[in-house]
Amino acid sequence: MAEGAQLRLQPPKETTASCCAASSSAAYFCTAGRGMERFLMREVQARLGATQVEYVSGKVFFTTSAELSMLKKLKSAERLFLLLNKYPPLFISKNKGRIICDIQKLVNEDSRLWLDIVTVWKSLQGQEVKQDNVSPDSQKRKLEEEDSINNKRQKTDQFLETVSAKNQVKNQRRCDMSETDIDNALSEGKLFLEKSCEVIQEKCVESDSCFSFRVSCRCSGALAKVFPAQVVGRIIGTALMKHFGWKADLRNPSIEIFVHLNDIYSVIGIPVFRLPLASRAYIKTPGLRSTVAWAMASFAEIQAGAFVLDPTCGLGTILLEAATEWTNAHYLGTDISASQLQGAYSNIQAAGLMGKIDLLKASVTELPLPPESIDVVFADFPFGKKFKITNEMKLLPDVLQEIERVLCVGGTVVLLLSQELHKLINGGISSGPETENHNSAECEVVSLESDTQEKTGSPRIISPSAQHTGKEDISNTKSILGSLVLVESLEVSLGKTDAYMCKYKKPIAGLASMKS
Amino acid sequence: MKLLTHNMLTSHVRGVRPGGGFPLRIKATEVKVNNVDFNQEFTARMVPKVEWGALVEAAESLGHRGDLPSEPIPDYESNEDFLRKVHHVLMEVEVVEGMLKCPDTGREFPITKGIPNMLLSEEET
Repeated sequence: MAEGAQLRLQPPKETTASCCAASSSAAYFCTAGRGMERFLMREVQARLGATQVEYVSGKVFFTTSAELSMLKKLKSAERLFLLLNKYPPLFISKNKGRIICDIQKLVNEDSRLWLDIVTVWKSLQGQEVKQDNVSPDSQKRKLEEEDSINNKRQKTDQFLETVSAKNQVKNQRRCDMSETDIDNALSEGKLFLEKSCEVIQEKCVESDSCFSFRVSCRCSGALAKVFPAQVVGRIIGTALMKHFGWKADLRNPSIEIFVHLNDIYSVIGIPVFRLPLASRAYIKTPGLRSTVAWAMASFAEIQAGAFVLDPTCGLGTILLEAATEWTNAHYLGTDISASQLQGAYSNIQAAGLMGKIDLLKASVTELPLPPESIDVVFADFPFGKKFKITNEMKLLPDVLQEIERVLCVGGTVVLLLSQELHKLINGGISSGPETENHNSAECEVVSLESDTQEKTGSPRIISPSAQHTGKEDISNTKSILGSLVLVESLEVSLGKTDAYMCKYKKPIAGLASMKS
Repeated sequence: MKLLTHNMLTSHVRGVRPGGGFPLRIKATEVKVNNVDFNQEFTARMVPKVEWGALVEAAESLGHRGDLPSEPIPDYESNEDFLRKVHHVLMEVEVVEGMLKCPDTGREFPITKGIPNMLLSEEET
């Protein structure tokens, strides 16, 4: 299985030398969407040289001495936390008082650890502020805005809200500004707000008198049946106030304490950044979840000099994630919707990736490209939201046939599929080493079959039933895939729904039959 | 649309001879020259991948050929001067408004705001 495949990341271009000196190593954990853990585990090793990498469902734990600027680059994680401690699950006794006591112990029993980790957190926040001041995009900001923010940085949170409101008014006054500019300015405004908050936070941390906190608590399993998360949060909060003299502040705390208690573990951590890692500074309007989009591009193993196509690009989220990380390739996005293409265009422009990505208005069943011209195809099929299942079934063979046509021999396809489509395309095929050989043997037969179809110039609309009339009765799903071989499929969570990320290859073995 | 992308575009209108529909002729009404970071490794990899004749013709038709030779030079991988010329033509010359014309059928595809519309009607496929 490709499980062992190394994640290749291009070495960072910008020098991090200007940033602060290497910090000592610390334990962290990231939250991740279900199915993202394996990407995240590889990523923390490849990007951060992390050690002691472990995972549980939805979380990856690791230790690294990487700087904050590198931590910020993690792409497959939702949020990053400094790990305070990971304990075995609480013992749920019948005596509620005993449980409360055990929860309190999470705070009281190791106050040294709490204070140490908070100190590490503070030093990280210090790094963050320093980096903000030297970050190159700070130079891009308009000077007047910079001034107005600087003047007001030390003021209160309330004031900051007024600042952002002022920015909005200012932008509305500039009638000549394009919509894009306004959007940009607004999101910049948000960033300012964010950064300014962090500065204020820093100030508060320095003087312990106004050190405030908020507890975010999640409980599941046996404990949740006894106490709701809010109650557990309150117990911990009260303990923190008593034990350390911190002030509770739900609205704008200096520090957030993240507590997750379930039947498998008890985890306490402190968020390193206010914004989730998954919300990207370079994506103005996200389509697909950014973490999943990045994982798809990573799964596709984009090589230097590759031509990469997203034939249903929508707002271009996968293209943006891919072109940001794997810069040595040429990216094409096609879509049939003019409004989606416009959105993609403004996203690409905002990300400064105009030099890497071109867009075309074209149908995924009629791509304006020669055969075998594309090295990597990735696509999030929008089916399921917009189309009824019957339509999907009609369209799907055409789509896959067209993708297979433009794909180079040896090329890779990564598709994000709904559960229905996954079943339809991949059927009962399970990915794994033992089934792989079996697949490729069958695929030769299939490619011969599709070859004859091309020669007879049969129409593009081939119903699934018409496709498996060959003497070798191969399952319906096989015919849909043509010569493509399923290499691996993974279940990933898209929040409310689940999807399958599937990787296919156009095998070199099929070459002879394709070209004859 | 960059000329690198143009170099791959083919028309699939009904009536195109097999392997035809390429290269699409460019009738540009607005061409922009962008500043794109030069990436030597990437550019060197593009040289054997592109249809050189089509690239030269496209650049010529836009008046941006410069002194791009009609054949790739030997040992181009290490010739930064040559690769910079290739980079300029492939990545920096951008057709913003205009038409692409199928050499076989004469079908025209409009380019608006840098995005070619390659959609075909049902009768054309």
